[in-house]
Amino acid sequence: MDGKVVVVTSGKGGVGKTTISASLGAALALQGKRVAVVDMDIGLRNLDVVMGLENRIVFNIVDIIKGRCKIKQAAIRDRRIDNLYLIPASQSDDKNAIKPENMVWLTNRLRKEFDVTLLDCPAGIEQGFKNSIAAADEAIVVCTPEVSAVRDADRIIGLLYAQSITPKLIVNRIVPEMVKNGDMLSHEDVVEVLAIDLIGLIEMDDRVVVSTNTGTPLILQEESKAGMALQRIALRLDGHPDLPIENPMDKKSFWKKLGSRFSRKN
Amino acid sequence: MNHNDDPPVKIKGVGDSLWVAVNPNLPVEQLKKELIKPFERLKHLAINARIIIDTGKDDQENNDRLIEELGNYLKAEFQVGHVSKPTPPKRSVNKNRIRQQDMGNAWHHYRNDGLLIAGRVRSGQKIQAKKHLIILGDLNPGAEVIAGGDIIILGCLQGKASAGQPDNENAIIMALEFKPTQIQIGGFVAAGMADSSADRPEFASVEENAIIVDDYIKGNPFRRLAWPEVR
Repeated sequence: MDGKVVVVTSGKGGVGKTTISASLGAALALQGKRVAVVDMDIGLRNLDVVMGLENRIVFNIVDIIKGRCKIKQAAIRDRRIDNLYLIPASQSDDKNAIKPENMVWLTNRLRKEFDVTLLDCPAGIEQGFKNSIAAADEAIVVCTPEVSAVRDADRIIGLLYAQSITPKLIVNRIVPEMVKNGDMLSHEDVVEVLAIDLIGLIEMDDRVVVSTNTGTPLILQEESKAGMALQRIALRLDGHPDLPIENPMDKKSFWKKLGSRFSRKN
Repeated sequence: MNHNDDPPVKIKGVGDSLWVAVNPNLPVEQLKKELIKPFERLKHLAINARIIIDTGKDDQENNDRLIEELGNYLKAEFQVGHVSKPTPPKRSVNKNRIRQQDMGNAWHHYRNDGLLIAGRVRSGQKIQAKKHLIILGDLNPGAEVIAGGDIIILGCLQGKASAGQPDNENAIIMALEFKPTQIQIGGFVAAGMADSSADRPEFASVEENAIIVDDYIKGNPFRRLAWPEVR
């Protein structure tokens, strides 16, 4: 059976597409799937850095499209996680180096080799985005609880629907304490505007910065809330759609409250 | 009307009578002379005919005398039958009443140019309607709708809505949840709406050269209309 192609997109930059692509790829591979993660951000590649595979790049996606190498030559295998492959972007070309039909051709090849192909879409709605969604079966829209990110995600969702793709939503970088104080949009607010199915909520996690800087997969880090959330999203994405979505709670304040209650009694 | 330019005598058949219009400004003798010519031509048709003499004036006394004299003359000369003056036309319709149309049959007379759409209008999408626009759904921030007439949103309005484009200032914008980023009615623009957190339907209209937003339930502008009318 052919594998599926999932595009991770957001419209706005810096909301966590690349980190989520890398982590979801790793999580799916750990669940026993054969996974290819494709960096679509030609000219501004950084998925390879996040995955810690930068020093092993020989060929890239433009080389594949131009026929300068085979897919197997360009796909870099992750040595820490079995069945996880990266197809890096070219740093010297620009987004016009490939066309949507090239991507359809490439993903049809990848479908035969991999159970899941994740496309890490660049920010914006220009050529890179068009290339990415041309070949996708499914889409994950990443949005942070900010008005600007919601606005861009809304636009992206409209464009995805225009391509007959029904997207799913990840709300990233939730700070429960701020949501509780009313300083941040809650995920309910985001879902109310975007009106698409939620596939996961990811809490703000400082470990993500460490992980991306060192190139170690987030989900291999123990006790990372974001990593755990991403593992659950990977399960929902592949075969367990009914896994309940956990609402990140302000656990600290919960204990504080409990503590204050006890202290009052004393 | 200047009667001096009119021919002194005109005759036409009205129903079962002969309508004789005479110019009352001329002397009676001249009118008698003028009457001879057409009545001689009528010959026996004039005998026993009903005659209505119209002087075109409301001046009662002089009129009646003129009509009587001319009537007697005609009776004597041409053996006409009954001579009378014109009866004033009946006013069956009261001019002061507002014209009321029966909307029960409106479908036969009016075709609707409105655009009715269902669904969510997302950021970056732009919907234009020639006349009225009705959206069964929400208008997200960043989305834009433009209509020649009214805009009615049965949902949450958060984007930009322009009604009555280009110059219809009677248009309204109504939404169940009214939180627009900007609205326009005709040439008027209103932006940065004060945070109207009222969870009630509201509408915007132009009043005294400014856009006013009011509670739709309380300030329904159409409630005062005496009779349903086409918008």
